Amino acid sequence: MKFHPLAQAVVAVMLLSLPAAAADVGQPAPDFTLKDETGVAHSLGDYRGKVVVLEWTNPECPFVQRHYSEKTMQKTLAAYAGKPVVWLVVDSSYFTTPEKSAAWKKSQGFTPPVLQDPSGTVGHAYAAKTTPEMYVIDTQGVLRYAGAIDDDPRGRSASVNYVRQAVDALQSGRTVPVTSSPPYGCSVKYKGNT
Amino acid sequence: MLQQMPLEAISPAVRPHPSFLRFLALLLGAGLPGAAAAASSATGAVQDGVPRLEATLLSGARVLGPGDTFRVGVRLQMAPGWHVYWRNPGEAGMASEVRFSAPGLAFEALAWPALQVLRSPDGSIVTYGYADEVVLFAPAKAVSLSGQRVRLSAVADVLVCAVECIPAVLPLERELAVGTRMVEDVEAKALLDVAAAQVPWPQARAGLTLSLTAPLTLRAGTAFVADVLATGPDNAPVALRALDAFIPDRLPAVSEVTGASVPGQGNHVLLRGKLLPEAPSGPLVLHGLLFLQAPAKHAVEVEVPLGSVVPKTPVAAPGPVLGLGWALLFAFLGGLLLNLMPCVFPVLALKAYGFVHTLQVGGRRTSAHALAYAVGILASMLALACGVLLLRALGHSVGWGFQFQQPLFVAALAALLVAFALNLFGVFRVGPAGTGLLGKVEGAHGAWRSAGEGVLAVVLATPCTAPLLGTAVGFAFAAPPWVVVCVFLLVGVGLALPFCLLVLVPHLSRLLPRPGAWMERGRQLLGFALLGTAVWLGSVLGALAGVDALVRLLGFLLVLGAACWVVGSFQDSRRPRLALGAALLLLLLGGALTLRFEAVHPSASASAWAPDVVAAELRAGRPVFVDFTADWCLTCKFNERTVLSRPTVQQALAATSTRYLVADWTRPDARIAAELASRQRAGVPMYLLFSPYRPESPEVLPELLSESRVVEALHRAASQLSAGLSPATFSGEKTRP
Repeated sequence: MKFHPLAQAVVAVMLLSLPAAAADVGQPAPDFTLKDETGVAHSLGDYRGKVVVLEWTNPECPFVQRHYSEKTMQKTLAAYAGKPVVWLVVDSSYFTTPEKSAAWKKSQGFTPPVLQDPSGTVGHAYAAKTTPEMYVIDTQGVLRYAGAIDDDPRGRSASVNYVRQAVDALQSGRTVPVTSSPPYGCSVKYKGNT
Repeated sequence: MLQQMPLEAISPAVRPHPSFLRFLALLLGAGLPGAAAAASSATGAVQDGVPRLEATLLSGARVLGPGDTFRVGVRLQMAPGWHVYWRNPGEAGMASEVRFSAPGLAFEALAWPALQVLRSPDGSIVTYGYADEVVLFAPAKAVSLSGQRVRLSAVADVLVCAVECIPAVLPLERELAVGTRMVEDVEAKALLDVAAAQVPWPQARAGLTLSLTAPLTLRAGTAFVADVLATGPDNAPVALRALDAFIPDRLPAVSEVTGASVPGQGNHVLLRGKLLPEAPSGPLVLHGLLFLQAPAKHAVEVEVPLGSVVPKTPVAAPGPVLGLGWALLFAFLGGLLLNLMPCVFPVLALKAYGFVHTLQVGGRRTSAHALAYAVGILASMLALACGVLLLRALGHSVGWGFQFQQPLFVAALAALLVAFALNLFGVFRVGPAGTGLLGKVEGAHGAWRSAGEGVLAVVLATPCTAPLLGTAVGFAFAAPPWVVVCVFLLVGVGLALPFCLLVLVPHLSRLLPRPGAWMERGRQLLGFALLGTAVWLGSVLGALAGVDALVRLLGFLLVLGAACWVVGSFQDSRRPRLALGAALLLLLLGGALTLRFEAVHPSASASAWAPDVVAAELRAGRPVFVDFTADWCLTCKFNERTVLSRPTVQQALAATSTRYLVADWTRPDARIAAELASRQRAGVPMYLLFSPYRPESPEVLPELLSESRVVEALHRAASQLSAGLSPATFSGEKTRP
């Protein structure tokens, strides 16, 4: 089948103007249902009406280890005790198991459920690339922040905790001042990358 | 080299847990007990006792004289398979950092040799860095030397990754002699010269001019695609690398920037990215590297001015900004304004018309009708609020007008409107003989009818947002239940108020036109307004469930029209009930035949693509055809209709026992995007045909398919010999990179 060059050019232009992929700030966050390390299923939809923080993690990543030993995540979560804020940890490493997550949770002494995503489906839906990588979702299920926990890749002194900034803004009805920051850390160890 | 380095002093007997060791490394820099005295080289990023990184401090000069300029650098050598990162690490990792210090020496900014693009094996994560080895260096100048020796120090703070990542902070140190004139360190200078030759050229040196082929609208919070033309000095032709032609620096307020050259036009680069909602207004300049293939193969440090960012379009303010009081006020005003919106207007016009007629007939019970109308509105608003609360409690996401997501609801409403219109046209009457529609206003039935009109007004109002209403309802949806109920009821009050005022304030009713002969025409005209609303509902249904569903709806409306006609024709006969029964039967039959709305699946037999499915099928000896497609891709649909679904192609698929897989890119999918990128494609369609005999090199079919081309390719894929390669010769080829 021969096609006129003009027709080919039109098709080419159509193909080039494709929408970009990824979970976009300002758009509804992809819904999911995942089991945590105790086998309890969590859906994003369960938490409508609350601010949801998603934390992509991998206990073997030194950046995650640093933030837990410095209690960055624990302190951020503690600031919202008694408030309608839900914190879900997601592990999309192909090697994650409920047992490993439970042991790590115990050793670090933190409470949020660790959702098991060894297939990487939810990680890919959010286009999560690093650990730790953070997402903040508002009470209506709209993604409001995606990126790093803070602006301090080297653990010297963070000048801003982006997640706190975003959750505080949502709690007081303000616009989130910074909606995205370049995440830093290890790459997510997705299935197929061994 | 690396293997010969002395290992750190780790006692095997008390070897700490590797993760603890890594943590220690993080805290202590080199992370090793004996790291206090820095030497000119050090090792780090230790995994299972083996260092993955060796860093060496280089100085282009061994002896310095006053005012001398030379280079200092740190050579980073990684174990095979390990890498460190560029100044923009990309989608993961951490930028490398090297700092120099020495008394009496001044250092310029760190120079970065051209980076390598590093992709994770599944292609989903793209980072920028250096594998094997890199020298990061800085030009230095002796500004004020004193004494016999200068102590040159450096700290390399890097993240070293393979699959795992290990941070390393290595302090390095060496002494340089002070003399009258410079003596070069030949070995170090050779390494530094090689690195310097790899540093991207400044744009001016390359003589490169970059210009946008069309002006861009850069709106905060939106994506952009810029087509940039590169021209060499004196308009010399320029060719860019196809993939990763542009590698961005990190910029605040911009994310996901990529740049690939335009296929067939090697001097164009398409820069894509997203402006964050908070991107400040003003000029936007992208910084980064452009990779040239011709006239010479080198990278150029460029600045691409893209234009001026304009602020985000002011959308309705986010709900929670409102106080409760404002939300309630907005709900009321929004309800008032709804009266003017096109979806409610026909009902209101009808109501006003009925009211005029009531005045004509007598006008005694007008207030009762107004009350019934208001009650109808408020009751349905309350029902709607309860529905919203119930669905919210069940964890569903609902919005204003959520019921319009159900095709059956939309169809039923369209049918109701058409029946209403036919009634107005006089095709049939509602109620006992001789009175007709208008006569009913007088009777007890009239109050019910008014209430029903209130319900209809609400139902039709929901997909229409009026100014202010979206804000109020948005507020309600995130608020506690009683607020939801209050906001919805106030919208109802606003919706009901104008008509009630018209009725209850005598002075106002005089403004209405006097009843007269025009009313018969007016009634029929209103019927057309209702049909217009039904047409709009048809478009809603079409968008929800496709053309097929729209045709089914039209079929049902036809049956409905016939049923109404039957009722009307025999209404004054002796057996109107029989006619009514027949009409109902007709409706039931018609409904059962037509009112089935399903989501359309493009090809039911095809299953979803996944790399491991492809691998499994190939291992089983079957060819695999992968159709990368999307609903919005016209070319894909064209190919599916005119080629892939044809009997010849289907037969060839069956005859070659080829597995047909669909990679649907209608919704964003990182794996599909990565697969497309790895084949240097910007989008769909893409057709890959894997042969079990040549699993590593699938045939890529053209974007516009033909039956004969596909059938030939299928037979080729199923044949062991057609490409002149047997599995044995191929497996030899596989081991090559």
